[in-house]
Amino acid sequence: MSTNIVSLNVNPCKMCMPMGAVSALYGVRGCMTILHGSQGCATYIRRHMATHYNEPIDVASSSLTEQGTVFGGEANLLKGLANLIALYHPEVIGVCTTCLAETIGEDTAAIIAKFHEQNADSGVKIIDVSSAGYAGTQNEGFFRALRAVTEQAPHDATPNGKINIVLPMISPADTRWLKKFLLEMGIDAILLPDLSENLDGVTATKYERLKTGGTSIEDVGKMAGAKLTIEFSEFIRGEDSPAVYLNETFGVPYTRLPLPCGVRSIDALIEVLCEQGGVVTDELLRERGRYLDAMVDAHKYTAAARAAVFGDPDFVKATVRLCCENGIVPVLAATGSVCRELRTLEPEIRACADLQMTEDFRVLDDCDFETIEQYCSELGVNLMIGSSDGRRVAAKLGLPLIRCAFPIHDFVGGQRVRTLGFDGSLNLLDQAANAMITRTETTYRAELFDAYHGGAKAAAAEKPLISAEIRTATHPCFGDRACENARIHLPVAPKCNISCNYCVRRFDCPNESRPGVASEVLSPQAAFERYVYYRGKLKNLMVVGIAGPGDALANFGQTKKTLELIRAYDSEVTFCISTNGLLLPLYAAELKSLGVTHVTVTLNAVDVAVGAKIYKYVDYMGTRYAGEAAAAILLANQLAGIKLLADYGIVCKVNCVALKGVNDGHIFEVTKMARELGAFVTNIMPHIPVEGSAFEGLERLNNKEITALRDDCEINIRQMKTCRQCRADAVGTLDNDISATLRSAVSAPQKSKTRRFAVATRSGVLVDLHFGQAEEFYVYDSDGADVRFIEKRKVSQYCNGKEDCGDKESKWTAVLAAVADCNGVLALRIGDSPAEKLRDAGIAAVATYEQVETAIRAAAGERAQTLKGA
Amino acid sequence: MAVTTTNILEERATSISSKQRKGISCEKESVSGAVSQRACVYCGARVVLNPITDAYHIVHGPIGCASYTWDIRGSLSSGSELYRNSYSTDLRETDIVFGGAVKLTAAIDELMEKANPAPKLIFIYATCIVGVIGDDVDAVCRAAEAKYGIRVIPVKAPGFSGTKSLGYQMACNAILEVMRPHREQKKRFGINILGDYNLAGEMWIIKRYFEDLGIPVISTITGDASYESLTQAPSATLNIVQCAGSSAYLAECMDEELGIPYVKVSFFGVEDTSASIIRVADALYAAGACDDGIPARAREFAAAQTAKVMPVIEKYKPRLAGKKAAIFVGGGFKAISLIRQFNELGIKTVVVGTQTGKKDEYAVIESLVDGDTIVLDDANPAELEQFMLEKGADILVGGVKERPLAYKLGVAFCDHNHERRHPLAGFAGIENFIKEINMSINSPVWQYLGKEAAV
Repeated sequence: MSTNIVSLNVNPCKMCMPMGAVSALYGVRGCMTILHGSQGCATYIRRHMATHYNEPIDVASSSLTEQGTVFGGEANLLKGLANLIALYHPEVIGVCTTCLAETIGEDTAAIIAKFHEQNADSGVKIIDVSSAGYAGTQNEGFFRALRAVTEQAPHDATPNGKINIVLPMISPADTRWLKKFLLEMGIDAILLPDLSENLDGVTATKYERLKTGGTSIEDVGKMAGAKLTIEFSEFIRGEDSPAVYLNETFGVPYTRLPLPCGVRSIDALIEVLCEQGGVVTDELLRERGRYLDAMVDAHKYTAAARAAVFGDPDFVKATVRLCCENGIVPVLAATGSVCRELRTLEPEIRACADLQMTEDFRVLDDCDFETIEQYCSELGVNLMIGSSDGRRVAAKLGLPLIRCAFPIHDFVGGQRVRTLGFDGSLNLLDQAANAMITRTETTYRAELFDAYHGGAKAAAAEKPLISAEIRTATHPCFGDRACENARIHLPVAPKCNISCNYCVRRFDCPNESRPGVASEVLSPQAAFERYVYYRGKLKNLMVVGIAGPGDALANFGQTKKTLELIRAYDSEVTFCISTNGLLLPLYAAELKSLGVTHVTVTLNAVDVAVGAKIYKYVDYMGTRYAGEAAAAILLANQLAGIKLLADYGIVCKVNCVALKGVNDGHIFEVTKMARELGAFVTNIMPHIPVEGSAFEGLERLNNKEITALRDDCEINIRQMKTCRQCRADAVGTLDNDISATLRSAVSAPQKSKTRRFAVATRSGVLVDLHFGQAEEFYVYDSDGADVRFIEKRKVSQYCNGKEDCGDKESKWTAVLAAVADCNGVLALRIGDSPAEKLRDAGIAAVATYEQVETAIRAAAGERAQTLKGA
Repeated sequence: MAVTTTNILEERATSISSKQRKGISCEKESVSGAVSQRACVYCGARVVLNPITDAYHIVHGPIGCASYTWDIRGSLSSGSELYRNSYSTDLRETDIVFGGAVKLTAAIDELMEKANPAPKLIFIYATCIVGVIGDDVDAVCRAAEAKYGIRVIPVKAPGFSGTKSLGYQMACNAILEVMRPHREQKKRFGINILGDYNLAGEMWIIKRYFEDLGIPVISTITGDASYESLTQAPSATLNIVQCAGSSAYLAECMDEELGIPYVKVSFFGVEDTSASIIRVADALYAAGACDDGIPARAREFAAAQTAKVMPVIEKYKPRLAGKKAAIFVGGGFKAISLIRQFNELGIKTVVVGTQTGKKDEYAVIESLVDGDTIVLDDANPAELEQFMLEKGADILVGGVKERPLAYKLGVAFCDHNHERRHPLAGFAGIENFIKEINMSINSPVWQYLGKEAAV
């Protein structure tokens, strides 16, 4: 990820004005909002809010189109208002502008006036909110809407002794707390907005489409007669502030307070309320006491926290204050809004940072998550507090995230988040403390072990479930009496890195049975599935082998993946691979950790001069070697590899291909070396002359000669005498390779008579197109059982040289030509006249809406009937 | 307030059909004030292009458009995670007055200078106001391509210029623009998968089917796509098209311009998945691209997988048969496949609607459902509410916005949207779909609703 891109916002820590306006208006009773703009704005905002609040969110749109954009959207908005009233019967409608409406210069006030003129009896209060998306964030949009409602409500300035409470975007649950708290203190208040019910509704027997909670527009009007406004925002500009408006217009005094989160802020609120005649109950005092007690209990945990707090400015301030009171250093305080005043938090943070011996911190505005991520790393943040939009940074940096601001998209309960009051603060504090405790608990053992015991744990030696001896005894290619056991060779390794003069690797040669041949190459997953299939069929399946058709290690990725998949499924089966040994030193350790217990290495010579006669070339580390160089590289690796296998306790069989006149006199030396290196058994096998190979004409050793060779070598090392020289995809016991049954099952020819059908389809899945509308046909052959797709035919291709068949007649000719070789045509509908013409041409017409293949099967099965033409 | 509210606006009546099937009014702009569930042109373009994992997707416009589409879809990547970031020019008031082209150019310059990994492909999405304020996005993109020698492709998708479908088309044009310089390629054996966005790994499921059959997948459009993989798409033998609504247009263009024929497929439900796997194998065989081993293996594979999944369906069926479903999804094709999947489970579809279904899709829907089923285009919450209650729907299949409404009405819900974490395609998807339906429809919570407390 790049750093410091300044011309772009990278991962926004903000949303737009209409989002805030819609949210605020949800706190006004009986209010619906219509966004004057294109349809997407409403839909995106609805989706965004629905996932946070888990409530149905209905927001209308004037659905501006190209025409509305050019000629003005008056007609759209007028119609939208009428429709909204018909559908919801709202008491209040908020008309919020969007980027588009503002940019094309819509005069919404005039349109609203016109609406009232035309609908004098609507009885709906319409609030005009200017909320261009580019003019600010959701925070400004929220206050814009509140200010507009306050300005445009029917004012009643009669003194009423009430206190106005103006709120930023807080959760419905926090709003419910605030209402109870005010009641408890004996304060008669008007909340603006009141989100407590509308965005956190109940399940009721009858669903109310129009929300009935929230502050009524009449109560908003009465705010003009209140004795005081408390505005829980210290950052909003005066022109967007309801408190400032009420003060300037009606002389209502106001005070701005931080959100009541943390002891100082709550105390400040209590103090103001007491001045207004509020009463502090014993219960409230106990709550306060409990909170202070909890602060003390947690302080040594919270002291470890270095927090990044991000969100709207008022949320950031409230949370930063709580952090500082608890010794959590908010080393990063960030907002996506343009808000230079957030810097006023610096002295507070500095004081806390000093106490915790922390030097560096940042307060940032107009900030995106790219910047937040960067500072989280730089400043050593270990806790994030904000919305769920921080989850990507949190996940990337491995940080805990306390989700307590809008939006929360990945958890449930966004509407019930509690951060205000003593218990809300306590909730936040507990989460912070527990995040620190969790962090310690999950890391301290390993950290202390690494720091003081002396590094990483020695890998605990894994005790094998089944001993190597037992595996060897039950392996049909290693054990003396294991012929009754089955093995499966999985052909996942197509490539080979050496070329032997006796080998021609052709994949599709099912009549032959010799190493290096397989009918098909399987992906690891397919190989795994084949294993599972045979596991169920063969009770005596003991061994999974990878024997090519190339070299198992030259395709190590596939080999490894296959074995891993199988091991996850079956912890017992024996793993065996065969290789030419070239890459054995490279992979021996990994074979061990994959649980491979048996390896066959083909070692045809231990003398470079002999080897040079056997190997055409060797590809090693990106270079192709030939002659003695090739033989030398191969041999060195084989010897080192076999030695390594012995060191790792992997049972090694050495295969040796006896080539008359090439190495047959040298094999004794090979078996001797095999023993010295620690191999378990050698398998001397006669060369099978293969057409097209360099040793095509070489005479094959007969059984007698092979037996004599084995007998000679037995004094060096144990001899395998049961080898059947299996295919790379062999399955079963040595004497009964059932892989051929698999191949024949797959390629059994279908011989029954087939008929041809043309299908008119739009989706390609159903017969779902009118014959007359078909521009193309899907053509199939079927015998009533199997359905075989042949091709897709475009009608235009049959248009006598013309691009498209303009007139009806020539199109019809083309259609007929396109389906001329068919026995039937299937379409959603076929007109009577075309159906007749088709029948005249000997083609059945079938009208259906079934799935394509099903319909064809049915048509092919009933062909006698349909072809009669009825 | 004694007034009763209307549920159906007069001008919406022709978009709703029941009993008398005369075809419904669709493919129109939404009705103002009707609270449509639709999104916009930009949304359509964004969802199709977004899964291109290593592209820089820059939203040229105010922040909202970028903010609400930031990493909200469940498209998975096997490589770059770049696409999960949001890049926006974040236009402000002054930009609206003086134009945003300078800012856009600066943004591209800065990306080229600092971004890691270095951009190979940049999409510039122009949202509603960009055209209105007169930014020449084409010129900016052309200049950037010339200056840096990389691909910078404009996607002019102002929200007001049509519906989401138009946005799909714009995205398809942008994809073609990526491929065009690479059109002269030798054809090789393999397919492109079009119209799968790799939601919850669905494309991976499908891709593996083909690879296991020995059919290479060359390019995937756009699930888990990369710039590199898109440039290889012209070499494919065959295109297979899954989400026809978003990608049929691209397939058609690739057929004409690049000579790659296509077949339409679907991987929802047992029948469709089996038929589609076989069809693709047959098409390749018929075109002479492979031997008959592949069609034979495809049949064997489909039969084996079907045999494996049928017991799951049979196990759940007794719990689900007889229930009633409501469907409200984006496109007609998805609605059709859902009706058929429900039929397979013995669930009757009583309400079915789409945001942007086409006329003949509705004709098919009307053929598939019973006479008394409500069919509706571009429905709003009021209509969904009325018909779900009237028809006694037990479950709603829909998007994120519809979920809370279903829950409030005491109706179960199936997430068949772009944010889900569970794959619903392929044979694995069939099992997930049934489980998803069962876990909601047969949850114990419903039995406690609708009763007043005893106290």
